Amino acid sequence: MQGERKLMTFKEAIHQTPDVTDSWRQGLQALRAEDRPHVVAEDTRRLRGSADIDTAVLSKEPNANRWDFGIAYQHEDRNDEVIYWTEMHTGSDSEVKVVIKKAQWLVNWLKKSAPKLNAFECDIVWVSSGATSMTLSSPQQKLMAQVGLRHVGSKLRIKNKRG
Amino acid sequence: MALADGVRARLLTKEFRVLFSKYELDPVLTAAHDTGMPPPSKKPKPPVLRTKTQHLQVRNFGPIKSADITFGNLTVLVGPQASGKSILLQLLKLLVDTAQVKYEFRRAGVDWDDEFKLFMEVYFGEGMQRLFTSKSEMHLGSPEFFIKGDIKNEFKIDSRPSKQRIDLRDLVSKTKPRKQEKLFFVPAQRVLTLRGGWPDAFSYYESGVPFTVREFSEELRLLMTDAASDETLFPVPRRLKQEYRDLLKQHLFPGFDLKIDSNRAQKRLVLSASDGGGALPFMVWSAGQREFVPLLLSLYHLLTPAKTARRKGVEWVVIEELEMGLHPRAISVVMLMIFELMQRGYRVCISTHSPQVLEAVWALKHLRKSGANGRALLEVFNAPMTPGMIALADKVLKKSAKVYYFNRESGTTRDISQLDPEDEFDGESGWGGLSEFSGRANEVVARAVANAGRKEADDI
Repeated sequence: MQGERKLMTFKEAIHQTPDVTDSWRQGLQALRAEDRPHVVAEDTRRLRGSADIDTAVLSKEPNANRWDFGIAYQHEDRNDEVIYWTEMHTGSDSEVKVVIKKAQWLVNWLKKSAPKLNAFECDIVWVSSGATSMTLSSPQQKLMAQVGLRHVGSKLRIKNKRG
Repeated sequence: MALADGVRARLLTKEFRVLFSKYELDPVLTAAHDTGMPPPSKKPKPPVLRTKTQHLQVRNFGPIKSADITFGNLTVLVGPQASGKSILLQLLKLLVDTAQVKYEFRRAGVDWDDEFKLFMEVYFGEGMQRLFTSKSEMHLGSPEFFIKGDIKNEFKIDSRPSKQRIDLRDLVSKTKPRKQEKLFFVPAQRVLTLRGGWPDAFSYYESGVPFTVREFSEELRLLMTDAASDETLFPVPRRLKQEYRDLLKQHLFPGFDLKIDSNRAQKRLVLSASDGGGALPFMVWSAGQREFVPLLLSLYHLLTPAKTARRKGVEWVVIEELEMGLHPRAISVVMLMIFELMQRGYRVCISTHSPQVLEAVWALKHLRKSGANGRALLEVFNAPMTPGMIALADKVLKKSAKVYYFNRESGTTRDISQLDPEDEFDGESGWGGLSEFSGRANEVVARAVANAGRKEADDI
């Protein structure tokens, strides 16, 4: 039962994952300064930290399509923390395949190297770092959804209620 | 240091161009600005621009509490059922064509004896007399755009529609009947006008049927009166561009020609197998064919084969729900023909529930912004790259398109022309609800896939 024992936090899971063990930062501090405005939390006090996965895994997998960040949030309608796996990338239909490869890398990495992090409820989101030219109904969105990825435009808006 | 008049005039012109580009206006500069600066005075008035843009403002009319529509070369209305789109378009027809509406009614022997409520019933249809109340207001005209501000600072643009209020009762009562119509209306109920395979006369319909349906039926009837038995209506050389004919043949009438035949002396429309096989009467056609044929006949009427670009006197074209019954490929062909109407100078208004129509408008806007040429637009529609089509697409890229969302809950309209998928207002980012479902499906599926097979962290 979830309510009867202390649930693992994002911070603890990061510490227990060898690839990224020193990567946890408070709030959005793991994100590059230019990327932080792209994440809008309804209540910043509910942020449970962030981690720069890309930099942490660089030496181990220099040629891989690595994923950018993990951001944890405590929603008011959940007991556990939710991780928003976030890729800051150019928002263009032509980049869909690249970001899908990155998402596939993330899923494999979570399974093989980060089982503690893989246990969290999560969203895998692509945030446009530039102007977006994608529409909600484009077939690429369907392709992305099938691998668990969704494009959220130039802002990741995290609301208090996950729903 | 004061700038020389000529330099300031050039700067002003440049600033105006930026504004026109931003707001997609069609500028007609006042004479004062054509020659440079406004006449000097102690309190210089803000420069005033007149535009060809038409503005319709409606308050408290049926489900519409407040609507402000500035028409572009193409104007698209979206929103849920019963949000007031059709009522607004019918009202537009009445305001633009009061004289012709009265002419048609008089010709059909419809007389409301100057009783306005009865007029509302016969014009908008049975049960619609309560659309108009003592609080109803409407304005139709060219707004004046006042541009305020110093040339060095950002200009503020403020549209102020004509303050002259239209008294609908007076307008209907005092306007003299006249035959010439300015607005051609293709109603959503168009398929009903051909239910017997041949359009009925205006006076055939009960007086509770909306004017726009009765008139459309009459227009089709007149259009077909002179057609001979056994005449082919589609494909016909010199009727529509060859490219449209090919696309329509491919997507709407594969293996068939549209013809008139005679059944016991009664002329009727049929689809006749191109290889000489049997004729199919109206009721056995596909839904898309039944919906499209009235639209095709309308396009024959509007896209005149002569050297004149437009049907004499007609300036506006309204098409309700152009996508009805059509496969997306057929919708693309119809959109190309909408572009043809725009290119010929018609001001086109359509209502739609089709995300594809908004995709087309979105593509049009972004291609224009990025300076793409007509070929790119044709590529969107998978249309043939013939010189005629390229020229058409090049011209259409210069035209303005506006999109309005009708909010049923608030009874208001909102300009969502930017169709910005990132806009905080759901009505714009979800394109008036047309892409909302797709967006939600993507989100739910992505979340389910991302969390498939997850185990509790403490169990690992």
